[in-house]
Amino acid sequence: MKLELQKGSRSRILAVLVLGVMAVFVVRLFYLQVIQHGYYSNLADNEQIKRLTIPAKRGLIYALDGDKPPVQLVMNETIYTVFADPQTTKDDSKIVDVIRRIAGGNARADLSGLLARKDSRYQILATKITRTQADKIKQEGLRGIGFQQESQRVYPEGSLAAQTLGFVDFSGNGRYGVEGKLNDRLLGRDGLLQSVTDVSDVPLTIGNRNINKPAVDGENIVLSIDRNVQSYVDQALAAGLKRTGATNGSVMVMDPQSGKIMAMANFPTYKPAEFNKVEDGEVFNNGTISKPYEPGSVIKTLTVATGIDKGVITPQSTYVNTDLITIGGEQIRNATKGQTGTITIQHALNWSLNTGMVTVAQRLGDGTSINRSARDIMYDYFYNKFGLGQFSGIELSGEASGIVWSPEALEGNAVRYSNMSFGQGMDLTMVQVCSAFSSIVNGGKYYKPTVLAGVVDTSGTYKPRLTQPLRTTISPSTSAQVKEMTRTARAMVNQGIDRPGYVIGGKTGTSEVPDKNGGYLENETVGTYLGYGGEDAPAYVIMIQVSGKNVLLQGGRDAMPIFADISNWMIDYLKLQPKG
Amino acid sequence: MSYQRTSQFNTRRQQNWSRNQNTVAFISSVKLGPVAHTVLVALMITVLGLIYLTQATRATSYDYEAQKIDSQIAELSTKKSDLEVENARLTALETVKNSSVAREMTTASGTEYVRE
Repeated sequence: MKLELQKGSRSRILAVLVLGVMAVFVVRLFYLQVIQHGYYSNLADNEQIKRLTIPAKRGLIYALDGDKPPVQLVMNETIYTVFADPQTTKDDSKIVDVIRRIAGGNARADLSGLLARKDSRYQILATKITRTQADKIKQEGLRGIGFQQESQRVYPEGSLAAQTLGFVDFSGNGRYGVEGKLNDRLLGRDGLLQSVTDVSDVPLTIGNRNINKPAVDGENIVLSIDRNVQSYVDQALAAGLKRTGATNGSVMVMDPQSGKIMAMANFPTYKPAEFNKVEDGEVFNNGTISKPYEPGSVIKTLTVATGIDKGVITPQSTYVNTDLITIGGEQIRNATKGQTGTITIQHALNWSLNTGMVTVAQRLGDGTSINRSARDIMYDYFYNKFGLGQFSGIELSGEASGIVWSPEALEGNAVRYSNMSFGQGMDLTMVQVCSAFSSIVNGGKYYKPTVLAGVVDTSGTYKPRLTQPLRTTISPSTSAQVKEMTRTARAMVNQGIDRPGYVIGGKTGTSEVPDKNGGYLENETVGTYLGYGGEDAPAYVIMIQVSGKNVLLQGGRDAMPIFADISNWMIDYLKLQPKG
Repeated sequence: MSYQRTSQFNTRRQQNWSRNQNTVAFISSVKLGPVAHTVLVALMITVLGLIYLTQATRATSYDYEAQKIDSQIAELSTKKSDLEVENARLTALETVKNSSVAREMTTASGTEYVRE
């Protein structure tokens, strides 16, 4: 039987209707799938494709540990925040009991109150708990309890080298110290994972727009700080301040043969792990790099070095000391009186006589005045060669430049340069002075001061970094003479305090503190000591500074004993052999 | 399903075939209607779909395995880091100084050196 749709029959009408409906579907599907393809494709991608950030681990910071491999000073620790969804929690009293018992002091005070807020979906119950604590809570199988993982910096050595390290703030940015200065190197680069995911956010390999860009962890940095030296220096400084009544102090220990800093201590100090509890932000500053001051008589070693290097004096050159010298109408006096008559420059250094240094400055010019030529020479040595009054480039945040007035400036007159010859009238940081002095005792090689000893690569291998001298400051002959002069100066005043058989030299400094009116405070001085020690080639340079509000402190009486303490310990620590 | 050669041979002249065309024709003895063809095509599509689904599911199951292993690696890595922190804390100078062993120690009274 042949079936045919008769014109006007119901079957034909039905067929037309079906075709019509199909046509509507086709048109609609064409609209959705072809014309609106991009829009719906984006909607689907947004729903199915997840972009996950793979966080980079912040680089670790290591310290040297004598001859042993470097040790970690700053590490990363995973901590957890425990939160609850009060709408889904059951047995709130058990939750309170478990959290209190396991999280202890890290639990919030009013746990019951927090869980009772049934209109809320997120309540933090405890913060900064360890993985072990988190695991114990998980084992309890509490319903409605979740964990949020975070990473925080930990400092196994507590406050050791706090100002050198700095800290990482709550936004993850380094502040102060190495953390601040080398933030970009320590930070690393986050990775990206873009993938189609299932309902549990598990990435799937289907899809053609997947991206897997691994994170690049931050660099692991090894500081030149030796944790043993740093620890002893911290201890010696604290004891010294207690003995002298000073409230503030800073110490720097440098290897003069490389410019690497072995210790930087500051007091008062703080614990980087508890930076948010610090009341006075001043403790974040590293006094050795960020607080320029007039260092006083320790600069006499630089003045003498300049004079000898220019050939205008020798240690045995003489001048007539009257305890008073007039420059530009201003009278300059010696702090120590009575060493009058014809005396040598060595004698002037031994007794720290200002007149002797002003005489050296005069001899750099025409011999009777600190003329422009003398000032140009002094500026060339102090600023260009010794690097005073400018950024040293150390890898620490918050370095101050200080100031050395140029002879071209109005302030760079003869009176200022006479003051500069004995360490007043210019603002310098300890790191500048220490680096300059290192070049004087090491044969005339100026090394850029550094706290970086190298890096630890991804395989955990320590890669040390070599340093090269930046420039020559003085001749080896000048260096040898000044080294001997400072040894003589120290030996004359401090007999029996140093370990016998070693070459140890140094210079005291007692400097006045400028007041707001352009003069100096009557009741406040800063004590400084700058010295070196070791075998024939100096193994360390130590600079001490002690100060306190309304306290008169002296370099010889208050700072020098701290130097002696550290110096004698360094001899043992570095296993230096005595002469003879 | 089998095929057999037809016994009847038609000459080119008889069939009026053109040059280069087969002179032997095979005709199936089994006749498939349109419904059977449709079913067969549907079956083939289904089989292909199943194969595709199997492969896709297998790939996805690998993803779950990989995810599981990644999680284990991450957890072990966290545990390792935590142990390193604990180790660093235990060997920190402050801890060592305050240890009972250190408290029993005395300061050396003198140091002797021997030249090599």
